[in-house]
Amino acid sequence: MQSSDIVKHARAVLVAFVLFGATHLAAQRGAGPGPAAPAAGAAQGPRRGSPASQRPPDTRTPQTYPREQIDAGRTLFGAQCGFCHGRDAAGGAGGPDLTRSMLVAEDVRGDRIGPVVRSGRTDQGMPAFSLADGDLAAIVAFVHDQKAQADTANGDRRTVDPADLETGDAAAGRRYFETACTRCHSATGDLAGVATRLQPLALLQRMLYPRATPPGRGGAPAPAPQTVTVTLRSGQVVEGRLAYRDEFTIALTDADGWYRSWPTSQATFTVNDPLRAHIDQLAKYTDGDMHDVRAYLQTLR
Amino acid sequence: MTCARICRRFADAIVVVTVLAGAAAAQKVPIQLLQQPSRDSWPTYHGDYTGRHHSPLTQITPANVSQLALAWAFQTNTAQAIKATPLIVNGVIYVSAPDNVWAIDARSGRQLWRYTYPQNAGFKIGHRGVAVLDDLVYVTTPDAHLVALDARTGAVRWNVEIADSKRGYWSTNAPLIIRNHLIAGVSGDFDNLPGILRSFDPVTGASQWTFYSTQSGGAGSDGATGGQMWMTGTYDPELNLLYVGSGNPTPVLNGPVRKGDNKWTGSILALNPDTGALAWGFQAVPHDTHDWDAAEVPVLVDAMFRGEPRKLLLQAGRNGYFFVLDRATGKNLLTVPFATVNWAKGIDADGRPIPNPDKEPARDGRLVSPDEAGGTNYRSPSFDPATGLLIVSAHDAYALYFFKPEHGAVGWAGADYSVYGRGVLRAIDYQTGAVRWSHDLQGGAGAAGVLTTASGVTFTGDSAQSALALRSSDGTTLWHSGIGRVNNSPITYELDGRQYVLFGGGSALYAFALP
Repeated sequence: MQSSDIVKHARAVLVAFVLFGATHLAAQRGAGPGPAAPAAGAAQGPRRGSPASQRPPDTRTPQTYPREQIDAGRTLFGAQCGFCHGRDAAGGAGGPDLTRSMLVAEDVRGDRIGPVVRSGRTDQGMPAFSLADGDLAAIVAFVHDQKAQADTANGDRRTVDPADLETGDAAAGRRYFETACTRCHSATGDLAGVATRLQPLALLQRMLYPRATPPGRGGAPAPAPQTVTVTLRSGQVVEGRLAYRDEFTIALTDADGWYRSWPTSQATFTVNDPLRAHIDQLAKYTDGDMHDVRAYLQTLR
Repeated sequence: MTCARICRRFADAIVVVTVLAGAAAAQKVPIQLLQQPSRDSWPTYHGDYTGRHHSPLTQITPANVSQLALAWAFQTNTAQAIKATPLIVNGVIYVSAPDNVWAIDARSGRQLWRYTYPQNAGFKIGHRGVAVLDDLVYVTTPDAHLVALDARTGAVRWNVEIADSKRGYWSTNAPLIIRNHLIAGVSGDFDNLPGILRSFDPVTGASQWTFYSTQSGGAGSDGATGGQMWMTGTYDPELNLLYVGSGNPTPVLNGPVRKGDNKWTGSILALNPDTGALAWGFQAVPHDTHDWDAAEVPVLVDAMFRGEPRKLLLQAGRNGYFFVLDRATGKNLLTVPFATVNWAKGIDADGRPIPNPDKEPARDGRLVSPDEAGGTNYRSPSFDPATGLLIVSAHDAYALYFFKPEHGAVGWAGADYSVYGRGVLRAIDYQTGAVRWSHDLQGGAGAAGVLTTASGVTFTGDSAQSALALRSSDGTTLWHSGIGRVNNSPITYELDGRQYVLFGGGSALYAFALP
C-alpha cells in the first residue's frame, strides 16, 4: 500500500499517541479512551487488574442528521479522509479511529471537527482541507453517524484492548528496568504512579519512545526536554530548550520564553537529547523484554 | 452546391489540414523521444526507461551550484501537495495532483491549461504523474480510470476504466508507454482485491491485456489477494521485458489466513509488454504481514558484476533490503539491508529474506523494524553511473504491529503504530551493498526523491523544509533553499542553453537555474 504518501503519518500516529488525552482526535485509534474519558457510565478511571473500559467516549450532545446528508458525507469522507482514517472512520493506514475520538465525542455539528479539518494537524501529518461548508457538514454528519453505529456494535474494529497487552512478567521487567532505565528514571520519582496516568497501550508506546507533552495538557509526565547550548562567534553562550533544529538552523526557547535562532554555519552548539537512549534501546529490546518492562511499569500506581 | 464552391472548400480544407499537420508534426511527442530523451525533455516518469532518475546535463556543477537561484515558481493554489514527478516535452511541463493536471510553460512557469476531473469517490491520497505520447497526455484518476487529454488544450479525448472503483480500486499511477502499449496499474488495499496491471492502446484506449499478480479469492497464492502494481515500471528494449514491483498481500496484517509465500505479492516481476505474460518473478517480501511491497523502482544498470558483464536490476525495497538481480533471468545476486531491519531470520538460498514468524503482528504487539512507511517507499532513488552509487531516501524506523482474529480478514485487518523513524539519504555501492555515505534528513521519513546529474550533483529534499544539492561522491551539502518540504522527485531539463532543476515544495513548483 502506498501509505508513504502520508510519510508524515507514521510520525503523526506517534505524536498522536504520546499526546494521548491531549490530542483527542488523533489519539484514539485503537487506544481505548484517554485518561479524560468523560461521560458518566463510561470509564470510571483505571481499576487495578481491570483497566479502563474499552467503551469509546459517549457523544456529549446527541445529534441527528438527515440520511441524504450522511450519504453525501460517506462519499466525501471516503475520498478525502478514508485512506488514513478508514472508509468507515474506524482507522485506516496510519490515521486514528474517529469513532473513539474524544474530539468527535465533544463535537456539536462540526464545532470541534471543522477547525481541525480546515487547519489540518500538519505537525502530525494531517493536511488542511479546503472544503465547501456543505461538504464539511456532510462529513461531520457521516462521522457522527459512524460513531453512533460503532458505539452500539461489536465489529472487527482495529483496536488493541488493555487485556491484549497483559503478557509480560512484571518481576522480570523490574530487573530489566533496573539495569537499562534507572540512569534517567526512577520508579518512585518521575515514574511514580505512571500507570494511573496512562492506559496500557499508551504506556507501552511512551515507554518505547516518549515525546514532549504540550504545555497546559495534563495526563502524562513530561519527559526530560531536549536542551541546547549555543556558542556564538562572539563567544557568547546561550542555553535553552531546543526549539528547532535542522541542517541549517538551530533555535532555542530561552528562560524567558523567547524564541531565538541562528544559522548553523554561524554558531556551534551541543544538543542534550535524553531521548537518544530510547532510540538506542529500540534495537536492543526483545518482544519479551518490551512486554516485561511494560508489565512492570503497569504496577507503578 | 456548385463545383466551384465545393472545390474552393476542398482547397481551403487542404490548406488547413496541411498547416495543422505541419504544426502538429513539430510538436507531437514521438515514441523515439521516450526511448532516447533529449536534453530539453523529461518525457517519462523516470526520465527514461532505466529508472535511474539521472540526467546527462552538466551546466550546473558542484563548483557553481551554490549560485543556483529561483527562475520561477508555479502556485497550484490548491491544498494538495505536489507529489508527482513532472514531465517536460516541447517546452511544456505537465504535472498532476489527484483529479488535476496542469500544463505550464517551462520557461516562465505560466499556466497554459488546467484539467480537473469530475468529482468522484476515489481516494485522493496522492498522484505520481502523467504520461505523454503523440498529442495526448494520459492521467489516471482516483476512481481508477485512465483519461487521455489533448496535450494542447487539456480537452478530454477518451476515458476508460482500469478497474472498478466500486470494488475498492483507485489509481495514483503514472502510466508507462512502451511502443504501442500504455500500461497503467491500480491500488486497492482496503478490500481483498487481486492486483491488476493493464495495457491499453495509446491511440484509442482499447484494452490490450491484463496481468493479475493474484487471483480473486487468493487462488494460487495461499489465500492472499493484493499485490497491486501501483508504481511505474522500467523497461529493457533488448530483452523486451517490463519490470514492475507488486504490492503487499491482503488482508494486510492478518498472516494466519494466508500461510505461505503469497505469490506474486511483494515481488519484482518481469513481463512481456506485448502480452502481459510473466517471464520471471522474484519475491522480495515473502508472506508480508507489515504492508511492505516491492513496488519501489526497479533500476536497470548494465555493468560488470563479480567479473561478469551483467544486465542488472537494483531495488532498494520497502522491507529495508537492497536487492541486485540478473534482469535477464531474475536470479538474485545480492541481498543486503540498507536500513534498520529486525523482521527476517536470514536470507534463503534464492536471496529472499526469511520472515521471522515471531515478528508477525500479534495480539500483544510486536516491535518491528522498519515501520509501515518502510525502509524506503515510492520516492525515486537515483543511480549515478560515475560513482556507481544508488542514492536512496532511507528510513530507520520501528513500529508496534498488532493482529488478533477479531480484527477480521478483510482489508487492513490489524493495527500498527509507528514508534520512531529517522530519514537518512544513503548512497549504496551496488557491487557490495555497502553504504558509501549517509546524509541525515533532519526528521522522519523523507518525502523527496533523488536526482543525480552527470556533473556529480545530487538533488533532493530533506524532511524539514529544504531543497538540497549535494556532492554525489560524498554527500556534502553544496546548496539549499528553504522552499518548504519537497514531496516529489526533482527533475532537470535544459532550455535555451539554460539548465533548470524543478522541485515540488508544498503545493507549488519551483524552477531553479544559474543566474
